[in-house]
Amino acid sequence: MLNPKTKIMKYDLIIIGSGPAGYVAAIRAGQVGLKTAIVEKDTIGGMCLNWGCIPTKALIESAKFYNRLNDAAEFGIEGIDLKKLDFNWPKAVERAYKVVNKLTNGVEFLLKKNGVEIIMGEAEIVGEHEISINNRTIEAENIIIATGSLPERIPGEGSNLDIRALYKMQELPESIAVYGHGPVSVELAQLFNLLGVKTFLITEHEKTLIPQGDQYLNDFILKKLKSQGVKIQKNLPSKDVPVLNASLRKAILPAIKPEIDLTDDGFAQTNLNLQTSIPNIYAIGDVNGRSYLAHVGSAQGVFAVNHIKGIEKQMDIRSYPLNIYTVPEMAQIGFTEQELQEEGVEYKVSEMPLSINGKAMTEGDTEGVVRILSEKKLGEVMGVQIIGPNATDMIAEAAAFIEMEATIYDVARTVHAHPTVSEVFMETGMEALDKAIHK
Amino acid sequence: MRHIFKFPDIGEGLDEGTIVEWYVKKGQIVEAGESLVKMETDKVVTDIPSPRDGVIAARYGNEGETINVGDPLVEIEMEGVEGEAAQEESKKIDEGESSKIENVEEEAAGVVGTLESAGNNAFLPASDEGISVTETDEKSSQKKTIATPVARALAKELNVDINEVKGTGPGSRVMKEDIQKYADSGSKNASNRGNRMVDEGPRVRIEPMSQMRKTIAKNMLRSKHNAAHMSVFDEVEASELIAIRSRFKDKFKADEIKLSYLPFIIKATALALKKHPNLNSEMDMENSKMIYKNYVNIGIAVDTEDGLLVPVIQDADKLSIREIAIKVNEIAEKARKRKISMEDMKDGTFTITSFGSIGGKFAVPVINYPQAGILGIGRMAKQPVVKNDAVVPGNILPLSMSVDHRIVDGGEVTRFLNQIMEYLGDPINLIMD
Repeated sequence: MLNPKTKIMKYDLIIIGSGPAGYVAAIRAGQVGLKTAIVEKDTIGGMCLNWGCIPTKALIESAKFYNRLNDAAEFGIEGIDLKKLDFNWPKAVERAYKVVNKLTNGVEFLLKKNGVEIIMGEAEIVGEHEISINNRTIEAENIIIATGSLPERIPGEGSNLDIRALYKMQELPESIAVYGHGPVSVELAQLFNLLGVKTFLITEHEKTLIPQGDQYLNDFILKKLKSQGVKIQKNLPSKDVPVLNASLRKAILPAIKPEIDLTDDGFAQTNLNLQTSIPNIYAIGDVNGRSYLAHVGSAQGVFAVNHIKGIEKQMDIRSYPLNIYTVPEMAQIGFTEQELQEEGVEYKVSEMPLSINGKAMTEGDTEGVVRILSEKKLGEVMGVQIIGPNATDMIAEAAAFIEMEATIYDVARTVHAHPTVSEVFMETGMEALDKAIHK
Repeated sequence: MRHIFKFPDIGEGLDEGTIVEWYVKKGQIVEAGESLVKMETDKVVTDIPSPRDGVIAARYGNEGETINVGDPLVEIEMEGVEGEAAQEESKKIDEGESSKIENVEEEAAGVVGTLESAGNNAFLPASDEGISVTETDEKSSQKKTIATPVARALAKELNVDINEVKGTGPGSRVMKEDIQKYADSGSKNASNRGNRMVDEGPRVRIEPMSQMRKTIAKNMLRSKHNAAHMSVFDEVEASELIAIRSRFKDKFKADEIKLSYLPFIIKATALALKKHPNLNSEMDMENSKMIYKNYVNIGIAVDTEDGLLVPVIQDADKLSIREIAIKVNEIAEKARKRKISMEDMKDGTFTITSFGSIGGKFAVPVINYPQAGILGIGRMAKQPVVKNDAVVPGNILPLSMSVDHRIVDGGEVTRFLNQIMEYLGDPINLIMD
């Protein structure tokens, strides 16, 4: 007699963690016919969907809307008493979570549709091929760790805010200290500042708030934050000010019996195939410390599954866009000027401001610029930086140009619809050829 | 109406040519007879004239590309011929086609054959869209390689044929890196096959044969296959020749004519040929006929950077030494400027090769088939000679001659050579005979 309870389930692949790295890997694995399970101890979608990318952007939209109302009269809207305007944080969070729930449900649907089994619980790797969840052991040919990372607690006495705690606040604090530099810190500092919270940004790197960003973007955002009243300083203010760490990150690793090698910072050590020191155990996303960007984690997920399927290719994604959801938004792709200088590439910078653009004027928001860095001899588009209300969407066009090794001639030749803010991109391509029309 | 001008067979047995330089652009007005393109053909670089008045509507092939005989070269939009008139015109020319094949040089058995002005069905009705239509036609005939814009720009920059490069991008798209790698590796790939060390470099270099080399190879082989080569060697004491030449050298120089020994040798050979018509003939085995030429055209083998060329001095027997010297000067100048044309090379009856100017003494020259013989001139040198039973310094000019033994017998060859030696040994005979 076979007792079904003792029967060990066997999978081709088990993925631990359902953030943008894990769930994308799981769907891809389902697509290529691997018997796949994904293990999640908290909520489908991980940090990005539940506390990071998505809800923060929803809150930033609320903040932008709130600020925009100051211009209502100018746009011909009357009857708004600016003195009575108030920001209801829990309401804004509620709206953010409507979006989040829709998306996590969507992810769950996609996982099931692709035949991925979802197992809720905390996974423990107990052997090279064995995982224990809720005292039940399952086996897998391959394991992918996609457990992500969390900001560390700041040493010191002040009250530390976990990013997840933000969504439970009943009202906005009077002041807040956002700790560390990097895109998330900058975004959050500006968010609170726009909502009228006295905001400190605690960093020793005020000249490079976006470490991987072009200096042009860094100079711009530093000036912008200062003009908006964000206090940028090296030390924490008084103990009364709550501290929110959005920078220092620590890997979240599951318990692993056969130990895997870790980096000096405690992240899972991986080779170029994203394999850990145990070859059938992969680590993707934040947990390997290579990048904290959701879209990079997703790309790594697809790559790792391909590798498991024997599709051996170098990670050949040529360039990742970097988006910063500030007001105005900033985005970049490809090489920065500093990188081009280091590489010794002879390049040309072409810039066109949004202030010349009709659509931007109608929107009442002309702050921004498009910059194209092109190689001098062949005119290859090497890097693009955009500042503007929709920079994070506009960068997609530049990403395609760079992925396809396009030149400024291609940019200048591509007809852009009028009126659009994107016209500035084409105009910058023409400017690179010294043929800008609207200059 | 549109006239498609096909690349004509401008040489014997020619089947392809390489475009050296275009003289016309699309949209340019041309007159009949105006040069369209410079082609490196079988043995020569020559200009191809336009057969019609009109506007160039399309051009086929880029500089450096090889075109087959019969392939379209240009399309000429003829002006003022429209509708019915155009059809008439078309008919007229189609009918007249056979007579349009000009016999350029009927009596020539040499390099030039027939020149075709227009091919069959060479007329296409013009489209409403005019010139722009043919542009797309032109493009569609080429194979399209998928490549990124930067890869294309880089390929152009590095002179890489993008069609040769294997693409590693999505859908086998040729990427920048592919071009870079292709250009970097170059011919190294060929040598690394046998597990050899990379830094040894290639063992061989493989290059396409030039048109001229192909032709030289073909002609040499044809000569060796068809003619029964026989060679005779002799020496002539040329002190008299040296004396005369040095006497006239400065005089000629005043008229900017360089006087070498070659004009004397050409004159001597031409006169000897008049006395020995067998050596100025060719054999038509198929028809069992001998063709004796009543004119003497001496070909001079010229060593150029591109290969061997044989420009011809027409009617050399009728020219003075001075006139021959002028012709030799012209040939040297043209060779230097790479401007020796088909016209300059046609219809030789006998050839002189003067390798002595470089240094050789004797050689076994290969006959410029179907000619009957070739005279090789070695390096003139001071040597002891016996005169009146005494050893005295002499100036010896070595002569090497190959003949087609099918045409001439040994005795006649020797008599012919003796005649030349008589002329060169005592050049006064050149004007006395």
